[in-house]
Amino acid sequence: MDESKPTLVLNHISKTFGDFTAVSDLSLQVKPGRVFGLIGPNGAGKTTTIRMIVNIMVPDTGSIELLGQRMTNALQDRIGYLPEERGLYKKMKVGEQLRFFAELKDVTGKEADARIDKWLAKLQLSDWKEKRTKELSKGMQQKVQFITSVIHDPDLLILDEPFSGLDPVNVDIMKDTILELRNTNKTIILSTHQMEIAEKLCDDVCMINRSHKVLDGKLREIRRSFSRNAVALQFEGEDGLLNDPELVASMRRVGEDLEVLLVPGGNPQTLLKRLVESGVVISKFELVEPTLHDIFIEKVREVA
Amino acid sequence: MKKLFAVVKREYVQRVRTKFFVIATILGPVLMGAFTVVPALMFGMKSGGPTRVVIIDQTGKLYSRVARELQTGRERPSKRETPRPPLQPAVGPGASREQIKQAGRMTEASFVIEEAHLGDRSLEEVKKDLESRIQRHDIDGYVILPPDLLKDGRPEFRARNAADVFTRENVENAIGKAVRSQRLVDAGIKEEAVQQASEPVDLKSVGETGQESKGEAGFFLALGMGIWIYMSVLLYGQVVLGAVIEEKETRIAEILFSSMRSFPLMMGKLIGVSLVALTQMGIWGAAFLAFSAWAAGGSSINLPHVAPIVFVYLGMFFLMGYFIYSTVYAVVGSMVTTTQEGGQLAMPVVLMLVAGFFLSFNIIRNPNSTLAFWASMFPFFAPITMLVRIVTETPPLWQILLSLVIGFATAIGLIWLASRIYRVGMLMTGKKATIPEVMRWIRQS
Repeated sequence: MDESKPTLVLNHISKTFGDFTAVSDLSLQVKPGRVFGLIGPNGAGKTTTIRMIVNIMVPDTGSIELLGQRMTNALQDRIGYLPEERGLYKKMKVGEQLRFFAELKDVTGKEADARIDKWLAKLQLSDWKEKRTKELSKGMQQKVQFITSVIHDPDLLILDEPFSGLDPVNVDIMKDTILELRNTNKTIILSTHQMEIAEKLCDDVCMINRSHKVLDGKLREIRRSFSRNAVALQFEGEDGLLNDPELVASMRRVGEDLEVLLVPGGNPQTLLKRLVESGVVISKFELVEPTLHDIFIEKVREVA
Repeated sequence: MKKLFAVVKREYVQRVRTKFFVIATILGPVLMGAFTVVPALMFGMKSGGPTRVVIIDQTGKLYSRVARELQTGRERPSKRETPRPPLQPAVGPGASREQIKQAGRMTEASFVIEEAHLGDRSLEEVKKDLESRIQRHDIDGYVILPPDLLKDGRPEFRARNAADVFTRENVENAIGKAVRSQRLVDAGIKEEAVQQASEPVDLKSVGETGQESKGEAGFFLALGMGIWIYMSVLLYGQVVLGAVIEEKETRIAEILFSSMRSFPLMMGKLIGVSLVALTQMGIWGAAFLAFSAWAAGGSSINLPHVAPIVFVYLGMFFLMGYFIYSTVYAVVGSMVTTTQEGGQLAMPVVLMLVAGFFLSFNIIRNPNSTLAFWASMFPFFAPITMLVRIVTETPPLWQILLSLVIGFATAIGLIWLASRIYRVGMLMTGKKATIPEVMRWIRQS
């Protein structure tokens, strides 16, 4: 098991607004050096959870610990936050803007200037430092916003939908930056409803739906545990052996593929071997891993 | 503390640098002057030369007196009176009514008088004739002095422009004086005695120090300061409202709250904008001082004398009013989604400021009444009412200090309360908050 201490611990936190329960009895641990995906559909309670983590809101019950201490305002400086709804002062110059947000995080003077220049260069924005924010494209503004969340070198970085509105080139820059930060042992929480992105970037995921946690753990393990023991096939020839009820539970056509669901405990290797032996020409043989999307749908159905 | 300073700095620097600030600072005094002087001048100004009036004197005695009164103006040169300086335009709200009146007189004092004799025509015929001359713009009006004028008759004045009150007043005064003098002469009093007897009295009103003080100037100074506080509190309240709504709309609030508590955030914002206001006032104050220094050396403009301490009070009561009302504006801004909505919601509070302003009319007349005392202790009225008291009849120092303490304590309490609403309100988007919701926010946060 992972030996490192969790950066962030949520202990049974709940939050209600009037009659509406936004987050219900949520517990999780987020470890350093990993990208933690907080996934779920819109309105599931992700933003409220994040707002409690960054101490904008206080949970009604339960507690939040960051770096082993109970959450306080002082600890806010250890968190970097890129909210889903971006917010920048339109009339301020990019440099001034970053300087202001750095000061809000207690990074001042030459140190702040140096970091601003470093980050602007890294995200290819150096030429825009003296420009007013409103002159920037949406994608550029987004990168500026991202810098405001990392300028103070936080231990915990929370990114709420960081890729929305970015073009493919910038998506790659952003991804690389996130992974780079992860490799320097930062803790990153990535909140998104885009499962494909979470799938590519996250080490751990927590799924929430309608204020409840439905799933939590290492992405690889989750996927394995949800593996339906299915194989996607393309071949030419006699398919009689697929009718063996001892091996195949069911079949269906998925586009060009024939998706074969094996019986519980059935070994895909056996299927492959028998296919080869039967003399058919195999052009594709692939184990089907469930996508996060599939897992999510399944999980939600289960709860409902 | 550092974070609060960062907020103050941002608010200040970003605002002072704007073109709007520069323009407003330069244009402010110009506009203010323009708004008081120009209407006065326009009102008084009579373009198109002297007023041509025809007099029909049916008494047979009064024409020369009335004509003389009209042509020399109502103020006959007198031994006691130093010649008045050539009339200067009234400056600022402190300009006295007398000055404005004079401005009026100055510009249209000239009359061209002509006598019309009835001869063997009837009055109606002559009137008809004169009427047609008025239509032709040959004359501007005519006066009929009826035969029984010296007893109880009423003179008639027909003018093309019936709304020209200056001319009307001049004509009325001239006839009045002429009739009074004629009555005295008819009663057997010598012409010179009559002249002497009708010398006007020049009332000298003195202030606390025994120096001559201009009552009217004091009145307008008090009123002017009241208006000024009222306007600037509203103006900068709107600035705060706009700033808060911007942060709410652009969702900057979320980042701000993830970095600092709402109390220092709100405090920083209010202080930042207040410094902008003080900077602007500093510039205006300096300009005013420079102007009065220039005025003192040679120019005939006399500005009402104001003790320097009054400016200190002015600044303090402005700040007090600003912090109280801007806090309310900030809360309102956090509850609404658009500036228009904000304006509506802030209305009841603005009415308090208006009430304070109207109370000051009473307070100017009775600065030490019980009403004045309580009105100047109530923090929502005090910025205007206490200042008016200070300018009219300075109350004991303890009252001023007490008013300031109550006011600033109220402001701090409000900011504290407001920052709790602010924090929740700023994160709510899409709809206007209701009062019960707000009460819940206060309890919850």
